Parts: sequence; structure tokens; C-alpha cells
Amino acid sequence: MLLTATLFAPLAGALLVALVPAARQESARLVALAASLVTLGLAVVLAARFQTGDAGFQLGMTAEWVPAFGVSYRVGVDGVSLPLVLLTAVLTPLAIAGSWRMADRPRTYLALLLVLETAMLGVFVSLDLFLFYVFWEAVLVPAYFLIGSFGGERRVYAAVKFFVYTLLGGLLMLVGIIALFWLHQQATGTPTFDYEALVDFQKAPSTQRWLFAAFFAAFAIKTPVWPFHTWLPDAYTEAPTTTTVLLAGVMSKLGVYGFLRFALPLFPDGARWAQPVLLTLAVVGILYCALVATMQRDFKTLVAYSSVSHLGFIVLGIFAFNLQGLQGGVFYMVAHGLVIGGLFFITGMLEERRGTRRIEEFGGLQQVVPRMGGVMLVITLGSVALPGLVGFVGEFLTLLGAFLENRVYAVLATVGVILGAVYLLWAYQRMWHGPLEREENRSLPDLTRREWAILAPLVAAIIVLGLFPRPVLDRVEPSAQRVVEQTQAPSP
Amino acid sequence: MHPLAQATTQPLPLPEVDWRAIAPELALAVAGVVLLLVVAFWPRAGRGVLAGLTLAGLAAAAALTVWNWDLERVAFEGAVSLDGITRYARAVLLAVGALATLMVAQGDSREGEPDDSPPEVFPLLLFALLGMVLLAAASDLLVVFIALEILSLSLYVMAGETRRLAAQEAAMKYFLLGAFSSAFLLYGIALCYGATGSTNLLEIADATGDPTADGTLLLAGVGLLAVGFLFKVSAVPFHMWTPDVYQGTPTPVAAFMAAATKVAGFAVFLRVFAGALGGLVVSWRPVIAGAAVLTMLVGAALAVVQTDLKRMLAYSSISHAGYLLVGVAAAATVPAGVSASMFYLLTYAFMVMGAFMVVQYVSRLGPPDDDAIGERSSLEDYRGLARRHPWAAGLLAVFMLALTGIPPLSGFWAKYYVFLAGIEAGLTWLVVVAVISSVISAFFYLRVLVVAYLQEPVGDPGAETAPGRTPALGVALGLAGLLTVAIGLAPEALIAAARSAERILG
Amino acid sequence: MTTYFQAYGTFAALLVLSIAFVAVAFGANRLLRPNRPTPGKLTTYESGMDPVGTTWSQTQIRYYVFAFLFVIFDVESVFLFPWALVFADIGVAAFWEMVVFIGVLAIGLLYAFKKGVLRWA
Repeated sequence: MLLTATLFAPLAGALLVALVPAARQESARLVALAASLVTLGLAVVLAARFQTGDAGFQLGMTAEWVPAFGVSYRVGVDGVSLPLVLLTAVLTPLAIAGSWRMADRPRTYLALLLVLETAMLGVFVSLDLFLFYVFWEAVLVPAYFLIGSFGGERRVYAAVKFFVYTLLGGLLMLVGIIALFWLHQQATGTPTFDYEALVDFQKAPSTQRWLFAAFFAAFAIKTPVWPFHTWLPDAYTEAPTTTTVLLAGVMSKLGVYGFLRFALPLFPDGARWAQPVLLTLAVVGILYCALVATMQRDFKTLVAYSSVSHLGFIVLGIFAFNLQGLQGGVFYMVAHGLVIGGLFFITGMLEERRGTRRIEEFGGLQQVVPRMGGVMLVITLGSVALPGLVGFVGEFLTLLGAFLENRVYAVLATVGVILGAVYLLWAYQRMWHGPLEREENRSLPDLTRREWAILAPLVAAIIVLGLFPRPVLDRVEPSAQRVVEQTQAPSP
Repeated sequence: MHPLAQATTQPLPLPEVDWRAIAPELALAVAGVVLLLVVAFWPRAGRGVLAGLTLAGLAAAAALTVWNWDLERVAFEGAVSLDGITRYARAVLLAVGALATLMVAQGDSREGEPDDSPPEVFPLLLFALLGMVLLAAASDLLVVFIALEILSLSLYVMAGETRRLAAQEAAMKYFLLGAFSSAFLLYGIALCYGATGSTNLLEIADATGDPTADGTLLLAGVGLLAVGFLFKVSAVPFHMWTPDVYQGTPTPVAAFMAAATKVAGFAVFLRVFAGALGGLVVSWRPVIAGAAVLTMLVGAALAVVQTDLKRMLAYSSISHAGYLLVGVAAAATVPAGVSASMFYLLTYAFMVMGAFMVVQYVSRLGPPDDDAIGERSSLEDYRGLARRHPWAAGLLAVFMLALTGIPPLSGFWAKYYVFLAGIEAGLTWLVVVAVISSVISAFFYLRVLVVAYLQEPVGDPGAETAPGRTPALGVALGLAGLLTVAIGLAPEALIAAARSAERILG
Repeated sequence: MTTYFQAYGTFAALLVLSIAFVAVAFGANRLLRPNRPTPGKLTTYESGMDPVGTTWSQTQIRYYVFAFLFVIFDVESVFLFPWALVFADIGVAAFWEMVVFIGVLAIGLLYAFKKGVLRWA
């Protein structure tokens, strides 16, 4: 019940926001913020009630939905999904606070952000494959309108590309889900989409391969895994900044979460069969996108490419099929969400002040906006995985996992870490250090109180979780261990 | 002795007249005749009165349908059969008829302007519905033909109800191609009669079970029947008339044709092919599956390049006919194919009518087109609709997303159910094609939303005329939107009802 | 499976045969006949008379409605004759059913009358 309340609180908030009369558009912000904070509160209670050390699903709820199809409403959290639920609940109020100054149709925008939050939370907590698919597709609609209706110049192109790409993957996954349902029904006689039942159901290795391929289509596009990433730079760059925060911070985790939660336990043979391909794609993605990021002139696009590159590490960790890799992958998801959110927030703040995101337009900002520079430094270092900050823990664990599985991939991926440091620190250097050349930059205001309120929690989390990752890792470990066992399970 | 007189010496076999079985049809016929007299003798009767009478007739038919709900039998010596398909199709058709009545009642009249469409459209609507309801119940090929003619003749006239040149052209095209397809169907019926010695579907079903019978004549007949039905449901390669007709006819009539003709056409398609000709499934399945592939892909691909919303909806309805054909292809061996198709028809009817209602609303916003091309339905007219008319745009979004098949709207479950039936029948390749077609279709449904939501309005917003008071259209839009969302959130009851339609009585 | 293809095989053979029949008949005709075109052979055939006027002629549209009404009631009489023969065997029910049948047609005539189609003006 608590989980259901957490899941639908943002949706209820969205309805309330939509009902705010047009004459009092400003109060819509308060309603939206309140709704997202209520969600955060519920998520914190959820985390407090969570039993550490239990590998199974907790705090769940089951209800009939469409028994004719064997579809039920079945939700629950385990160590893998709980951190992601919290991440979503933390980033949404920050994104709403970040949209405080929005003048263009604020009601619609905020309502869509809240709908997006419900859909993304739904993906993380669904334990019924059908319900999962419903939320998976439901993410598309608010995201499409957020990008297409509020984004930059090429927003329509970006939105349609994003929608069609993701829909294609989703529908292929639907065929896989139906086929899985059908096989299970033929073998056992019970029509069900229940996650646990379908995991326990023994599938022939050859079947697993093509079913894995169907799920791979959806997850690889959503993550995105190189070379399915071409929609991402467009979508991230064109979306309004606070939407990009949610897209990069949370939505990009949906795909990797899908691999971890569904593709691996459901089709262990298929996953082992595809492991070399996935590892290769992950490493190529890390290196290729890091190189592309180095060349970018638009800071937002640079961060977008860095996001694809970093997601490669998560895929690498997950497909290492060992505890270190999986645990690191989950932790890295959280870390990446915090860091990339922070980077996009700063991008948005700079764009608000200067009306541009081009790196060469800046330079020497440290003299003008020192506080912002300090925050930026912490976040950048978190992103390049400086020990003691949050990115390091995730990156170290995923690389360790990959190293235990196959050294070549780990060594190659480490080159990506170096490249990551190169493009981010180089961009930081060009924007914040050096002489203050542009006249327009002299009068930039430093962080306002609202901006502090947005960035402070992120910076705090980046430092605290970097120094004390144990609370998160302890909760992830049993569930990650379970996935490892399921993946290593011998074929029938 | 005169041969005619000789015949009288034999006792005449009289079919038992089962009034109850055809009570809804009778109610529609009586209502239609009454309305015709009202139109003739009371020329001043307002559209509100006529619409009220039409709705009363529909309500009577609906009440009789409910009265007959649990009746399962074959009546009139096998000419009419009451089974799940019949009652499901009756219910859907009467609901569609009610929505169409509301749309017709709204018409395109504005304050102080005379209405273009004549009052005869109300009785014609009832006669068309009579034909459709009878078609869904027909279990004899002759009754199929008669019902088809009743509905087609009414629709030909309705298509040309206004004096717009486009409507006249549409009516002419529809009539010529419709007559053409009727000829195919009649030839097919004749060949089937020649091969099996009966036009009754039950007896044809028995005859097809006989392996010693000569199959050639029957197969030729089945092929011609398929052509006739594919024409009526506008499947590729017999779809040419659809875009022109939908674009040219007045929007309420186009909506009615798109929704109701499909329901009736597929009901009889299922009954004849999955029911009576189920024994020949290996022979006709490749044909139907091939038509399904072509219909889905050609419909979706051509819809992408349209710049007129009505025309785009016509192509989209072609591609939806393709999904339904997947259900038909599956239906002979898998009962879920029947219920999936029936459920699809239910959801599709409301989605597509809703989309046409938005078209009707938007066409009232600008000045009427004088160049006689048709109504204002160009995509240009939808630019920035979301800013000017948020409610209309919101409903448009609901219908477009439902037609795309985005969960949790009604169209999603329908598509899902058809895919499920297809996989169950071993037609996975067909389902994969359907998935590809769905992705293509996302392009053009989204394009409407792009125009309505993401583009700025062009020109002077002050030049736009007020839509006027639209109570009837408002109610119809509300109902269609509500049904599309509600079926999406709680489809269970209607799926269960569709499941009860799986058993086909001859 | 053999019967499946046999059934199609007969059909295919018939198709080929019918196409061949037409092709051979027309081909032979073309080879054997003399070819002497004259202008007279190209005129429209009107039972030996010289054609008058163009082929595109207009008719008074009112004839259409009258022809229509005539056909309706002409067809009605086709139903009436056999009905008259068996009327006595069936009884009163037959009478009322024919009343309904003619009644529906009469309503149509009434409608046409009210709409003024019967007035020749």
C-alpha cells in the first residue's frame, strides 16, 4: 500500500496541478513541489521500512487488473530497485524547483514532469511483466511532450526520433513478453505475467536467445547502448534543462535496470550467449562516446555524450555476471543520476544567465561566480570518479567486476576513465579558468538561494555517498547476489 | 395443369417466424419508416426533434438487444443466427449509431446559417444500421447479400448528402466501387451455392467437411467472397475508394462509415470465414494473411505522407483493417481470434469516431471552404490547436495515442489481444509485421500531435470564427473520450463479453 | 496435401485453358481473315440506320424517377402472383404480411408524393 501510494502520489499531484485555475498559474509550482516532496517523504518511509539483508521483494502489493489476460497489478521493491526509487524521488523535486522561473505554460510542464515521475517509478517497482510494459510505454508520452513542446529549436525532430526509436524497441519487447507468456501458459496451463513465476519457468536455451534479443532491443535503445544511442544527444540537447535532468538522471537507468531485472534472470542462457556482444558494445560505447564528447563545443551535448559513455560502465558491470559488477552497476546508476543531474542543472543555470551553452563563450568564470565554480568542481570530479566522491565507488566496482570476468574489457574500459577525465576537466578548465575575456560574462550573478537549494542536496549526496557507500551497498548486495545466482543457474 | 398450380398441391414449407429473434432489426426498421414520414409530413421539424426520435429508435433497439441477450439460437430456417458475435456487434453498432446521431445532429450549421445536410440523413442512418445489424446476424449468404445492400444503398446516399462537389464525387466513387464489389460477392455466393448446394452457412460448413467433394468451384467461390468482403472492409488491394470517400463525405458520415461498416463487415467476415469455411482454413489463410500484410504496411506507409487529417484517418483505418485481418486469419483455428477481433472493433469504433469528432469541431473554426474541395480538415488547420482549444487538442491526443496503441488506452489492449491471438495461431511472423506497421503508424499519429501541440498557430488568431454552441458534439466527444480511457483502464468486463462471442453458430 | 494442390491444379489448368482458348481463337481469326478497312465499318451500329447526333445525349432526369417507381411496383407484382396462388393455404397471416409489404412500398410512394417528385413541372 505504501509503495502504491508512493507510485501514484505524483500522478495525483499532476491532476491537482492541471486543475489549478489559469489565473493562478504560479501556485501550480507550489502544488507540484508539494506533490513531489510528499512522494519523496513516502519513498523515505519506504526505505526506512526496508529490511536490509533480505534478497527478495518487499513492501509489495498484488491486485487483479485484467484477469482475462493474466495481467495483475503487482509491485514490490528489492535492494536493486529501492535505490533507484529514491533517486527518482530525490531528483523530481529538484527538477521542479529548477523549473521555478518557467514562464511558458508552467502548469502543463509541471504536470508532465509529475506524470513522468509516476511512469518511471512504475518501471522500477513493477513485478508483473505486463504492468512493466505498460509503464515502460507510458514513460514515452510525457517525455515526448516535454521534449517536443518545451525544448529548443530542433525539438520536434528530437522528440519524434526519440519516440519512434523507443517505441520500436518497446514493441519488439512486447512480442517477446507475449511469447514468454504463451510458452509459460502452454507448459503450465496458468496464464500469468508474474515476474517470479516466469523467472522460475524453465526455458530452452534456443528460445532464450531470441527472447533475449527481443528484450535487448528495448533495453539497448533506451539505455542507450552504442550504436543505438543516436536519438540521445538530440533528445538531451533539445529538451528543456530540467527535463534533461530527469531523462539523464532517471530515464537512462530504465534500460540498464531492465537488463538487470528482466533480461538476466529471465534468460540466463540467452544473456550468457550475448555476453561477449554486450561487453564489446559497452566498451566501444565508452571509448567512442568519450572521444565524441571531447570534440563537442556545446556543453550540454558534451554532457549528453559523457552520459552515454558512463552508461557503458554500468552495462559492463552488469554483464560481468558477478557480485562486484552488479553491485557496482546499481551503485553507479545512483551515482550517475546524481552527478549527471548536477551537471545538467549547472548547464541550465549558465544558459539562463548567458543564453548560450557554447564552451568558447565562457572562460574565467571562476572570478565572477566562484560559488558556482566550486559546486561545479565537486560535481565534475564526482563525474570523473575522483576517489572519495560518489562516481569512484561505482566505477571501481564495475571495473573490478569486469576485470574478474575478462581482463581485456576492463583494461580497455579504464582508458575510457582517462578520456572521461580529459573531456570533463578540459571543458571545466576552458569555462572556469583562464582570463575573463568576454565582457558579457563580467556581470553574471552567482548562485541564488533557490539554486543553492537545488545543488546543495546533490553536492552533499555526492560527497556523503562517496565516503560512506556502505548503507547503499549493504541493501543492494543480497538482491544483486540473487541475480548473480539466477544468471549462473545451469541450463535445463 | 399449370405448373404454378401444381406447386400448390404440395404443402408449402413455411419457416417459423421468430419475431423475437429479429426484434432489434424490426425496431430499427419501424423507427426508420416513422422518421421518413416525419420528414415528409413535418418539414419544419428541427434537427433536435429528429435526432431525439432517432435516439429513441436506437434506445428501443438497444432495449430489445438486452432482452435477447441470453438468446442463443438459429432462427428462420438458418437464415439468422443469434450468438455471441450477433449480440456483441449489435451492442457496438447501436452505440456507434448513437454517437453518429449526435454528430449528424450537430451538422455543420452555425448560428444563423441554414444547414447543408437534409433531414433525410436520420432515417438513412437508421436504415444503414438496420443493414449492419442484420449483416452481423446473417447466417445465410443471401441474407448477407441483402443486408449488405441495405447498408450500402443507405451509405451511398448519405455520402452524397451535401451539395459539396467533393461529397458528390465521393458518393459516386463509393457507389460504383461498392456495386462492383457487390457483384464479386454475388458471384462468390453463386459459386458457393453451386459447389455445396446451399447458401446456408451451416450447410456450407457441413459440405466443406466432405473430403470427396470437388474443391475447385468452392475455392473459386471462397476467393470471390473474400474479394467482396475485403472491398467492404477496405483492405489492400481493394482499398482505393477509401481515402477519396472519407475525405469527401461529410465528417459525421465518414465517422459512421469508418466505425460501423468495419464492425458489421468484420462480424460477417468472421462468421463466414472462421465459422462456415473454417474447414478450408489451409486454403484461405495464406490469402487473408497476405492481404493483412499488404493492408497494414500500405495503409501505414501511405498515411505517413498525407497532409489532410480526414484522408490520413482513412489510410489509418485501412491499416487498422490489416490488424483485424490478423485476427480473422487466426480465428479459424484459435477462438481467441474471434474475441480479439470483436474487442478490437469495439475499441476502434470509439477511437476513430472520436478522432472524426475532433475533425468536425475544428472544421467549424475557420470560414467554410468555398473552393468546394471539402471540409476544412487540412493539417494546417490544426497548427497550435493546443493553445487555442486545449480541450479539443487534449481529446485529439487521447484518440491519436489510443490509435497508436499506447498503454493504458483502449487501443493498446485491442492490439495486444490481436497479437496474442496471432501468436497463439502460430502466425508470429504476421505479428512481427504488425509491430513494424505499428511503429510506422506512430509517425503519422504523432505528426498530428506535433502540429497541434508543438507548432505555433499561423495567421491572425482573431480571424478564426467561434465554433458556436456545440452541445451534441460536446456530449459525443465526451462519451468517446471517456470510453477510450475507461476501456483502457478497466478492459476486463468487455474482454469477458468478447470471450463469450467466441462460439459461432453457423 | 495432394488434394489441396489438386484442387488448385484443376483451377490453374482451367485458367490456362481459357486464356489459351481466347488467344488461339482471336489469333487464328486475325491470321485467316482479310483486312480491308473502309470508313463505313467504323461507324456506330444502329440497326442499319445512319447514326444521328453525337453519342453524348441528355435525357430528361424526370424519366429516371418515373422509371424507378415503375420498376418498384412492377417487381412488387412479381411477388403478388405466387402469393395469390398460395394465399388460401396459409391463411390470414399471409394477408397481413402482404399488407405490411405493400404498406412499406406505399409509404415510399407517399414520401415521393410529399417531396413533389410526382408533379411534372
